[in-house]
Amino acid sequence: MDTQDLSIAEMGRQLRAGSVTAEQLARDALARVAARDPALHAFVLVTEQRALEDARRADDALKSGRDLGPFHGIPYALKDIYDTAGIRTTCHSKLRLDNVPDADSVVAAKLSAAGGVLLGKLATHEFALGGPSFDLPFPPARNPWNPEHITGGSSSGSATAIAARMVRMAMGSDTGGSIRGPAAWCGLVGIKPTYGRVSRRGVFPLSWTLDHCGPLSRNVEDSAITLQVLAGHDPQDPASANVPVPDYRAGLERGVGGLRIGIPRAFFATAKVVQPEVLAGIDRTAAQLREAGATVEDITLPDYALFAAAGRVIMMAEAFAIHEADMQTRLLDYGEITATRFGLGAAITAADFIHALRARRELSDAVNASLSRYDALLTASALTTAPRFDQPVDSMSSAAPMQTIPFNVTGHPAMSVPVGLAKGLPISVQVVGRPFDEATVFRMGRAIELLSGWESVALPNFPG
Amino acid sequence: MPETPAPDELAAEFDMLMRRAGLSIPDARRSAMLTAYADLREQIALLHGRYGAVHEPSNVFRMTPAGDK
Repeated sequence: MDTQDLSIAEMGRQLRAGSVTAEQLARDALARVAARDPALHAFVLVTEQRALEDARRADDALKSGRDLGPFHGIPYALKDIYDTAGIRTTCHSKLRLDNVPDADSVVAAKLSAAGGVLLGKLATHEFALGGPSFDLPFPPARNPWNPEHITGGSSSGSATAIAARMVRMAMGSDTGGSIRGPAAWCGLVGIKPTYGRVSRRGVFPLSWTLDHCGPLSRNVEDSAITLQVLAGHDPQDPASANVPVPDYRAGLERGVGGLRIGIPRAFFATAKVVQPEVLAGIDRTAAQLREAGATVEDITLPDYALFAAAGRVIMMAEAFAIHEADMQTRLLDYGEITATRFGLGAAITAADFIHALRARRELSDAVNASLSRYDALLTASALTTAPRFDQPVDSMSSAAPMQTIPFNVTGHPAMSVPVGLAKGLPISVQVVGRPFDEATVFRMGRAIELLSGWESVALPNFPG
Repeated sequence: MPETPAPDELAAEFDMLMRRAGLSIPDARRSAMLTAYADLREQIALLHGRYGAVHEPSNVFRMTPAGDK
């Protein structure tokens, strides 16, 4: 059986039917990593022994009647900022090459307790910000749709591993778009849940009040299954919210009939760098949603530039506070892009930072006001397809092609969903929901997945 | 926030801020950082002069209930 295209749910069905074992799933995935990763650099560490131990344990449990749920026996991988007990966690940085945590991050522990099979640790931009770079201890991950193109960051290895069909789900983190951006540029689903929905404990911070943990996956259902495992209150994470977690798969197939959807068109339509194919993809998606029974209307939000400014100031200030001591004493141990971005945090004054927090309040209120009239928003994830490595873009500049940071600033759940190809590279849309209403985001994302026909688009093919 | 200064004044401001933060920026990296600083400064300017005294910052987040759900 070729297992590379089995969804998480289908793997679960095959495991319970006895037509495949967790060990076979793990060995197949490890073989794909061995064959494909040397050219793509998704993994910084493959944990083969751990994977086979996890898989055998999952098989033994099922044989003895202990079923840990939909993630039981499913291979996955972690961005290398997630602490893993006894397994090196580098943040893709020279500064943490020897870091071996004593304990798992909450996310790693939950996936393990749910019966998941850890394949390894994945490339990231350094400290989830600096990249893609060639001056770091590991090479940058490459885009499986065209390895001359970048994946977007910072969950770069996560996107590469899934788009190259090595693994069905990988964890990312999202401070300004680091889940949704790579998902958009690699033709994947990537959800940033509501701030506080998933514990960040044991994940190296980039910016405490913007950091979110979430999965990237091949389809919406994979992400819904994964978030079901991860969501929930963690009293030891100061930002964790004690909010009930619904069944994320219960409404997946309900369609969009009756939903009211707002499009903040000025966000993307007036952007200088937007590609016509991206605009066409959003308009096509809006028309399909209307045809499927949703009410879809253009809305007005505050200027995108204000969201971007608030997000960048908050991120740079908080990041510099985290890295201040190392920046003062070991600046040259950081990659050049990382040091440039972190260093700017030193130029932010107290007044700048406070104004950014005041803007955050204004912007959160504005998005909430829109979501009192609409069930969800539809907008761009990325304004362009993935750039080439030799035509770099500054993802932190005011002209960055990602449109993801507004919902880090406001904390709303947001998901990137692929809708087509432009010149052989994926284009996507972004779905934004009310706080803690990931269920509607999944429901709408699933409808878009069906309406766009994305599931019939052939992914890049690799030997092995 | 003052208007964006002339390039040499901007560079002097940047150098002062880096010194104040205890950062020694190598010459080879200074130009890229200065360009990024100029862009950041323009973004920061958007945030100034926008709010009156009663406009408080969000402490962490402001998750006001939205809609009827």
